[in-house]
Amino acid sequence: MKLSFWQVITIPLLVGLVLSWVLFSESEAEIKATISAAQALSGGDTEGYIQALGPREFVFPGDHGAHPGFKTEWWYYTGNLFTEEGKQIGYQFTIFRNQLSPSVAGNASSLAQDNDRQTSQAGSTDPAQIKPDDFVRINPESKGAQNSVWNTNQLYLAHFAISDVSKKEHVFDERYSRGAAGLAGASVDPYQIWLEDWEITRVKDLEASDERFPVRIKAEMSNGTALDVVLNPLKPLVLQGEEGYDKKGGEDGNASFYISFTRMQTEGILQKDGESLVVSGLSWMDHEWSTSALDSGQTGWDWFSIQLSNGYELMYYQIRNTDPELLPQTTGSLVAPNGQKRDLDQGEVRLDVLKYWTSPYTGARYPVQWILAIPSEELEIDVATVFDDQEMTVSVQYYEGALQVSGKFRDKAIKGNGYIEMTGYEQD
Amino acid sequence: MSRKHQDLLWQSSLRFLLKHPWHFLLSILGVALGVAMVISIDLSNSSAQRAFSLSAEALTGKATHQIQGSGGFLSEQVYRDVKLATGYRNAAPVIDGYGRVQGLNRTFQILGVDPIAEGPFRDFSSQDGGIDLAKFITGQPTAVLSELVLANLGKNIGDSLQISVGGRPFVLFIAGAIATSNKPSEQALESVLLVDINTAQHLFDMAGQLSRIDLIIPDENEELIIGSLSSSLPQGTRLVSSGSRTDTLSQMTRAFELNLQALSLLALLVGMFLIYNTMTFSVVQRLPLIGRLRALGVTKSEILFMIIREAVLIGLIGTMLGITAGIGLAQFLLGLVTQSINDLYFVLSVQELTIDLVPVLKAVTLGLGATLMAAFWPAREAAETEVSTVLRRSLSESRLAQRLPSLSLIGLAIGLAGGGILLIPNGEIIAGYNSLLFVIIGFSLVIPALMVGLVALMRPIFGALNGLIGKMSVRGVVTELSRTSVAVAALVVAVAASVGVGVMVDSFRVTVVSWLESQLQADIYVQPPSAVARKADAQLQAELVQIFKETEGVASVHSVFSEDVMTTYGSSNLVTTSLGAKASHSYQTKEIQDGFWEQFALEEVIMISEVYAYRFGVGMGDSLGIITDKGMQYFPIQAIYFDYASDMGTITMNRSLYDRYFDNRAISGLALYADDQTEVDVLVNRLRDSVVGVQEVFIRSNKGLREASIEIFDRTFTVTVVLRLLAVVVAFVGILSSLMALQLERAREHAVLRANGMTPGQLWNYVITQTGVMGVIAGVLSIPLGLLISYVLVYVINLRSFGWTLEFIVSPPLLIQAIGLAVGAALLAGIYPSWKMARANPADALRNE
Repeated sequence: MKLSFWQVITIPLLVGLVLSWVLFSESEAEIKATISAAQALSGGDTEGYIQALGPREFVFPGDHGAHPGFKTEWWYYTGNLFTEEGKQIGYQFTIFRNQLSPSVAGNASSLAQDNDRQTSQAGSTDPAQIKPDDFVRINPESKGAQNSVWNTNQLYLAHFAISDVSKKEHVFDERYSRGAAGLAGASVDPYQIWLEDWEITRVKDLEASDERFPVRIKAEMSNGTALDVVLNPLKPLVLQGEEGYDKKGGEDGNASFYISFTRMQTEGILQKDGESLVVSGLSWMDHEWSTSALDSGQTGWDWFSIQLSNGYELMYYQIRNTDPELLPQTTGSLVAPNGQKRDLDQGEVRLDVLKYWTSPYTGARYPVQWILAIPSEELEIDVATVFDDQEMTVSVQYYEGALQVSGKFRDKAIKGNGYIEMTGYEQD
Repeated sequence: MSRKHQDLLWQSSLRFLLKHPWHFLLSILGVALGVAMVISIDLSNSSAQRAFSLSAEALTGKATHQIQGSGGFLSEQVYRDVKLATGYRNAAPVIDGYGRVQGLNRTFQILGVDPIAEGPFRDFSSQDGGIDLAKFITGQPTAVLSELVLANLGKNIGDSLQISVGGRPFVLFIAGAIATSNKPSEQALESVLLVDINTAQHLFDMAGQLSRIDLIIPDENEELIIGSLSSSLPQGTRLVSSGSRTDTLSQMTRAFELNLQALSLLALLVGMFLIYNTMTFSVVQRLPLIGRLRALGVTKSEILFMIIREAVLIGLIGTMLGITAGIGLAQFLLGLVTQSINDLYFVLSVQELTIDLVPVLKAVTLGLGATLMAAFWPAREAAETEVSTVLRRSLSESRLAQRLPSLSLIGLAIGLAGGGILLIPNGEIIAGYNSLLFVIIGFSLVIPALMVGLVALMRPIFGALNGLIGKMSVRGVVTELSRTSVAVAALVVAVAASVGVGVMVDSFRVTVVSWLESQLQADIYVQPPSAVARKADAQLQAELVQIFKETEGVASVHSVFSEDVMTTYGSSNLVTTSLGAKASHSYQTKEIQDGFWEQFALEEVIMISEVYAYRFGVGMGDSLGIITDKGMQYFPIQAIYFDYASDMGTITMNRSLYDRYFDNRAISGLALYADDQTEVDVLVNRLRDSVVGVQEVFIRSNKGLREASIEIFDRTFTVTVVLRLLAVVVAFVGILSSLMALQLERAREHAVLRANGMTPGQLWNYVITQTGVMGVIAGVLSIPLGLLISYVLVYVINLRSFGWTLEFIVSPPLLIQAIGLAVGAALLAGIYPSWKMARANPADALRNE
């Protein structure tokens, strides 16, 4: 036994140190967790939803409201407004409706009742899919529960963007909400499409009809940029495509119902950077609903809405294919000053890209300048975004940009403004 | 001085310790037991606290503020207004409550959220976190649980899950699993069941309502935003900071935890006595050796250092063993502590022990520190040993005898100082424990004098009973008073601690039982199962009330409702009763205004519990502000009643008054009276049959409820009882070790007795009688100290912790048990030394002479 004091003491000390090292090495970490869910079948599954299979008769004001049963729907407003000093302001305000599951939840949203007619008309719904609230079916004892107004399969999403042309500044914001509990929804009477405090409401006007009426848009971004404008349609409603039935892909059901107000007088106030500006100009409204639009080989679209100085409006989109050899699917219409629409057939419109812009945020390469020509109408215009950076990097990535246009129409010089929407340019 | 030289001293120490393994082991055991008790309590407390703060952190998320309703509810319209009218974005609706998951016998916190609004608040419950909205918000019965819980349940995503909320069964489907990336997150979320707001409204029957709205309010505009949000809130709702609720909850358990800690420190104190005792012996036994070492030129400081080093060794080994044993003990205590918190305060699930650095460091400091402190005096005594050692012992004894009066006076002074501390007005719980410490130390110092007195009393008795040997044995106790008094003091403190705690628990129990008898007047009680045993936090289905009223044999029914409301003193439990003036039969009042019961039925007056009055310093005639659905209202307090059900205190008002100011029509319990023709048990069965399939409720007779309540009471005191048992074990080991050491040390004396003709049998008699006498002395002295301790516990600490008035009950069996414990251990301690001595050759023991 030749153990020194220090040798004896060292052993428990070492054991203690090692133990405390093992026990306390775990660092204090922030509470963090994610949810792993069984991978849901993604967008491709359209079973149980209503599909747009052919032209239908629209009834208003109901059809200005929501169409549950269809998977997606949007109320899309764009416009080019000018301040009193002549500064150009582009804006986009869109409310999207997304249906999460085919069944229409019990009494979740008022729109379900408003649009019962919708489902029967389409004739493709199986009543079995409109299930009663599953919670109560599985837990019949929870009687007081039917009153919960929170359950819904309607998800609302809204995008609001301002393109301040003089500052070349693009600001945008996004909101989400369930279409229930009064937080978001679409009601026909009183007419209101809203997501929290962002809203589109009908403005009282004695001359208006249920088909054609002025609306007011109010929205404020988190950064304080806010728009409060009244839009009054100057022309009748345009039923795009075939009487409002617009085929997007070759496959059956890959189509939407699509109606537009192509020219709306717009006046109101824009608040930006601490300033309140009186603005006026022209807006364009697209209301579209569908369950599936694109075929499997289609990647995205370039969608123009242009208001010309001579009173004409041009809508034209092309849906690009993964296979560059295939010709894009196109739809277009030219609306005359009297509201007469002429459909533009496949191949009637020629579109050449003059310039591209690569997004510093996403790396996506978007065209930003084109020559657009319709030889049959003797129209050739130079179309350019008002500035490059108008990409929307929100939960979905796309480009939504104000346009300025100049060129010739039947030998006369014309100008104009518009908007371009481009999707499917994401970098892999 | 060379290293080698020092090593030699160390070798000598080590050899001595190993030659006396019993002694060595018992010293280590003394340290280990004390340390084990302190660390186990600390660890179980800190684990519970950690589990609480982690889950609070996870559930609060990044919310800085919240909007609450007047009771536990908030209209969801408020949320719509915040989002739509005010346009405030960083707001999220929350419904929370509790439920049990079948297959795991524990309570889960059910968190109902809107995953779309959750993003900025809590990542695990948000859409961005990966919640599948299509399954979650669409009205399907779905829930999300932690991966770990799913693994424990043996379930996968998509499987069904049975849960029970307030006695109502539900089936939910698992829509996702919470994957945690680190241990704290895992712990924080292991008892969370995440559901959508709509599902939560179903589960808690809260259509149209929320529990609260979480908000994130940035610092820079805080006042402005709070101002604008507050101004648009309806009456009865309020905007508070998120931390306030968590703080309130963690405040609740403060007194509870402090008391447990104090009990564990008491154990350490006993441990210190034991260490002092054993270290002293180890020095005394070596006095001749130390004398020789000094003669050989070893310096005083070297001797001091030698003993200190021994103490360090003992302390270190004891502390390590104590920590190891303490961690094991904490595993067990954690279950009890958690159970008590769940019974008394709030739902807390603690699945595992967290070993924090702080309790471990504290244990090391206490263990080593206590050992060194206890060893210092013996070490100094050793260092001061004269070179000639022959007269050493008798000298030290006579010195003690001289000091006896002054020692006793100092003891008295310290004891009185301890009493004086209690007189300090508004003293804290800590002051109570300090006074306890003073009383114990003071009493210990008087013990030598008391022993001399007792021995003088006992000598003639033992002489009569056991002749010369009896007299010799008793006298032997005081001839070495410097040794025996320490041993006896250690025993007294240990046994007294167990007496004190025992008397306190008994007093409590008797008080509660008699209170229950007067409180429970009805024949049958109906309650839904609640998450916290002593609180009615679940509701009865409205239709049940109707069913019961119409059941044959029910003469009358009155209802009770309990909810948390906001008052001028913070969140408080409000109990409403429909008894009206008849409440006078059920409530025992401490103070009461004349004609109160008539007023209680008809006018706007309330009564509060004794605990509530104590906690918030309110009394008769004061007005209590309560935030009602009609805004802040003030009610005069006209009576104070006894209530042992809640240590947070309760406010009681008549139902008719409540209904005037609150919209909630819920009921959380019913009391039924049987008519004269119906047997209570028959009626209970009839009622049970009538609720099948409606709601799972407890229907209990008066007797049944009383028994159930006492069972819960006993459960909440399990920790205390366990600690008391541990103190008894420490005491027992202490008695055993010190008396055994004492007798072993007397080997030479015993050899002289043998050599002078005492037979082995007589030596047995001598040794056993002597240890027995010390046991009796310790037992007898422990009773007054024990009663003093219990007095302080019942009238000071309990009052300051909880505000209860208890009857002071001393049960004779408890006292007999204490004496029995002391004597039994003492007798046991005599066996080995006397056996050893009886067998040894007296010549060997004397050879050194």
